[in-house]
Amino acid sequence: MATILIVDDDAFVRTLLRDMLAGQGHALLEAEDGREALDVLRARTPELVLLDLFMPRLSGLEALAAIRQRWPSARVLVISSLDSERLVREAIEAGAAGFITKPFHPVEITTAVARALAN
Amino acid sequence: MASSYWIGDAEGRVLGPVALDVVQELVATGRLQDVTRASTDGNHWAPPEHFPEILALLLNAPKPEALFELERQEAGRVWDQLRAMQGKLPHEVFGIEEGAAVDAYRNCFFKLVKRFYPDRVRVQAHPDLRRAYSDAFHFLSRLMVHIETELAAGRAVRAMPAIRDTPVPAPAPRLAPPAQPPPARPEGSKAAMRPLPRGPVPLPRATYEPREFVGLQRHDDRVEVTVRVTAQNSTMFTQHPLVNIQSGGVFLASRTSLPLGTPVDVVFHFDNPAREIKARGRVILENAGADPRAPVGFGVRLVALPDAEKSFVQAFLARAAKR
Repeated sequence: MATILIVDDDAFVRTLLRDMLAGQGHALLEAEDGREALDVLRARTPELVLLDLFMPRLSGLEALAAIRQRWPSARVLVISSLDSERLVREAIEAGAAGFITKPFHPVEITTAVARALAN
Repeated sequence: MASSYWIGDAEGRVLGPVALDVVQELVATGRLQDVTRASTDGNHWAPPEHFPEILALLLNAPKPEALFELERQEAGRVWDQLRAMQGKLPHEVFGIEEGAAVDAYRNCFFKLVKRFYPDRVRVQAHPDLRRAYSDAFHFLSRLMVHIETELAAGRAVRAMPAIRDTPVPAPAPRLAPPAQPPPARPEGSKAAMRPLPRGPVPLPRATYEPREFVGLQRHDDRVEVTVRVTAQNSTMFTQHPLVNIQSGGVFLASRTSLPLGTPVDVVFHFDNPAREIKARGRVILENAGADPRAPVGFGVRLVALPDAEKSFVQAFLARAAKR
């Protein structure tokens, strides 16, 4: 089981993801935006970060760049409703391990998390 | 290297750095709305008017009347696609090899089905578009359930006749006058997402219905209500004979009237012990004062309130009753 950081400004999404993944035995950390995510990471490095792109204060893409630079062992799965093909490509090129489009299905999340952790 | 932009919306959210064509795609498809500011370095922000290239994208977004007609045309295309899918074998629908593993089917299914997620359609969209998306979504969902069932039983995957029989309207006459847009939603509606699919662990068997998909924020149909719950007013969960915690609901005393069926996000702030519970629901009863014998307000049927949180509410009510 792994430690996973959930970064999303939508409290409902965080709650849903937390409930899904806690049931799989993972330890969960949460942050409301990119800046808070970096604060959390300074204290503890999770194996996986679930990262929204459109958030207050510090965007997901900026947070992604910072995470890849400072905590390269943490894998990042982007979860966003902004499903532009170009944006997906940019996120992957910036080091995301995957891109899940909202709305998401629990099966999709648990499968993607298992795959990201296995890799 | 092409210029990069940061975009901010009315809710203070930030996207960037992204190329201009990403902004263009997101604006044109309605994914990016309410742009209030922009930046070329992420630090110095200005209104979109200061960026002619951004302003041009926002001004070129389709007008509501044009959008309505485009949506009607899009509905026709989706039904055409659905007819084509119904004529194929399952692996052809998902564009993978026959005999593929269930994970491969799922990957392709999720990519394809989300294109037709019914709530991607704006509330005031042409009604045909929501129907077309819903038809395609349900066809694919049932096909995926069928595939999982067949593979789990060790059988080869073939489309079920019932799936092939998903009714699809005949193509609409191209010159038919478009329906009028429905009336606007009441003011005060706020963004949120789809109903909670929280369930026991391990995850329940998926049916891939739209309600199981979550996380899509909408800005045009959902109302957010915040309620402080104390021992004194906790009767909101018990007093109403029809809408109470036993029936999975709550009655919220309010002078604000919400139409029946309005989706609501309720945030309860319990005071002692302090706890925040978020629940999703729908207005199933309202009294705006027409019935003087009943309290004024609206009743909300809560959706998928987890057992742990329901237990907390019941314990809170039991303590409140003793005070």
